[in-house]
Amino acid sequence: MGPKSIAGLAGALIVVLVALSSVYIIPETHRGVLLRFGELIQTDIEAGLHFKVPVIDQVREFDVRLLTTDLPSRQYLTIEKKPLDVDSYIAWKIRDVDQFYRATGGDEYRASELLMSRVDNGLRDEFGVRTMVEVVSGQRDELMIALTERVNETAQNEFGIRVVDIRVKAIEFPGQVSQNVYRRMATEREKLAQEFRSRGRELAEGIRADADRQRTIVLAEAFAKAEEMRGEGDAQAAQIYADAYGSDSEFYSFYRSLEAYQNTFANEDDIMVIDTDSEFLRYLKDPQGSR
Amino acid sequence: MAWNEPGGNRNDNDPWGTGGGRGGNDQGPPDLDEALKKGLDKLNKLLGGKGNKSGGNGGPSSGGGSSAGGIGAILALAAIIFVGYVVFQSFYTVNEQERAVVLRFGEFSRTEPPGLRFKVPLIDNVNLVRVTSVRNTESTGQMLTQDENLVSVDLQVQYRVGDARAYVLNVRDSNQALAFATDSALRHEVGSSTLDDVLTEGRAELAVRVEQRLQTFLEEYGTGLSIVRVNVESTQPPDAVQDAFREVQRAREDEQQLKEEAETYRNKVVPEARGRAQRLTEEASAYKEEVIERARGETSRFLAVLGVYETAPEVTRERMYIQALEGVLSRTSKVLVDTQSSDNMMFLPLDRLTNRAGTGSDSQDNSGSGSSNIDIQTLSDQVVQELRGRQDSGVRRSR
Repeated sequence: MGPKSIAGLAGALIVVLVALSSVYIIPETHRGVLLRFGELIQTDIEAGLHFKVPVIDQVREFDVRLLTTDLPSRQYLTIEKKPLDVDSYIAWKIRDVDQFYRATGGDEYRASELLMSRVDNGLRDEFGVRTMVEVVSGQRDELMIALTERVNETAQNEFGIRVVDIRVKAIEFPGQVSQNVYRRMATEREKLAQEFRSRGRELAEGIRADADRQRTIVLAEAFAKAEEMRGEGDAQAAQIYADAYGSDSEFYSFYRSLEAYQNTFANEDDIMVIDTDSEFLRYLKDPQGSR
Repeated sequence: MAWNEPGGNRNDNDPWGTGGGRGGNDQGPPDLDEALKKGLDKLNKLLGGKGNKSGGNGGPSSGGGSSAGGIGAILALAAIIFVGYVVFQSFYTVNEQERAVVLRFGEFSRTEPPGLRFKVPLIDNVNLVRVTSVRNTESTGQMLTQDENLVSVDLQVQYRVGDARAYVLNVRDSNQALAFATDSALRHEVGSSTLDDVLTEGRAELAVRVEQRLQTFLEEYGTGLSIVRVNVESTQPPDAVQDAFREVQRAREDEQQLKEEAETYRNKVVPEARGRAQRLTEEASAYKEEVIERARGETSRFLAVLGVYETAPEVTRERMYIQALEGVLSRTSKVLVDTQSSDNMMFLPLDRLTNRAGTGSDSQDNSGSGSSNIDIQTLSDQVVQELRGRQDSGVRRSR
């Protein structure tokens, strides 16, 4: 009885072990391949519970989720030979586990090394035919789409990898160039500041000149109007005088002269030297007024 | 099936019979216990130990193992703990902020909403994902603009898990993917804007464009993340050129100030000129009226006199003449000269007279002319005397 049950125990253990090793689970995030003596006999095994022959069959499973690989910053030259430090990343995933296993031995690290060198070359080519402005702004999308397509094509065929996206994270100037850019920016700003100040002076001068012009015109117009009015007044007055005095011009001369005498000799400091023969003094010498 | 044989008695003698009665699943362990029990019994016999007094339950089992009950109890306890553990493991709770992504045998099975949930131990694999909470990631740094300038941008992305299944299954490191994509989207959009845009009005628009671009990236990668909001926290010129930028700001203010000063000048000068202009025209208008009225007055006076004059010209004329001369002469100093009788040269010290008169007239405006009147009086007296003296001598000579 004793040995029997021990043997039974051992047998049960073996059965359990065999059962366990003939069952394997591939998680949803992975795909598997089945190898029998190193030979691929089943590929692209989907998620779920699967069976295999214990010991003989081996399962390799690969994470097929999207991976982002950071490409170290490299310097590329644009068509005008300007150096740019470019930092980029690759988004990729294993598409064909069979192909992937064959090409890389299932080593993700190796796979990303292979991808990186291709992307590096691709970027160098793409940058080399574009100007800096195109690379920085205008054609970023085009550049990346073209590059992604090209790399994707070879990666799919050769490594069983799908390159989802290649993106430039950062495009920067190398240190020395940055200094130049700072200087240029500062100069541009100085120029701008100067422009603002000069424009301010220009505007101010314009406004002052306009003000002065308005003042001059207003005053001149007023002067003209005033003179016109004075002239009208003078004319009307002259007309009135002419109308009145024209009726007896001889008497007017007399009348006006008398008035003028009174006005012109109005000052008490005036000294009159009068001939005693004058008409006024006719009676001074002779009551008869005879000469 | 040989090892199962002792199990036949189990129902009779198994002290934990009820406790262990969990159906066929647990059949293995009691058999194993049986075997162990027997082994231990033999060991006890070999050592010559008496039957344990505690083992008084005296079961009919072979060998009468007195310690079998104790070991059985321990094992039963272990089994209870194990079962309890399994039951405990079958339930889990999903918090309000979470969703559970359940994999069965590795295959995606379902996502579970919040609440108490059941799973099959060892078979179901549960991933709890916080979906409602908003997370942050930032991207900062200096970047190139379209016009080849550099600008420092500080961007914050708020996001949450929109699709728990995708988040768990599609991307190995969603957060890294997001960080990379954020850098890329931000620099792309800054690279498509001019420096002035990024620094001023373009900021809000920049955030919108980054958000759109980032969302397309995330969808393309199937991260299951969704963007809540993208904030452009700050955009600044690089430290090295900030002074120059501030200088521009100052220059802008200077411009404004110069302009305003000029406008102040204009606002002062033009209304003043208008005022003066009005004064000029008003004065002219006054002059016009004055001249006309004066003419009217003078002429009507003249006409009135003329009317009288025409009735008696000679008399009126005489009267007017005398009256006028009276008026004139009464106010002035007079020197009478008899020119007929004195044909000799007559000398009048006119310069002295006028000088005196001039000094007198200086003060004439303010002070009354009283003192100068006296001067002139005495002066004229002197003149008259002088003249008389000469006349006398002249007369004497001529005669």
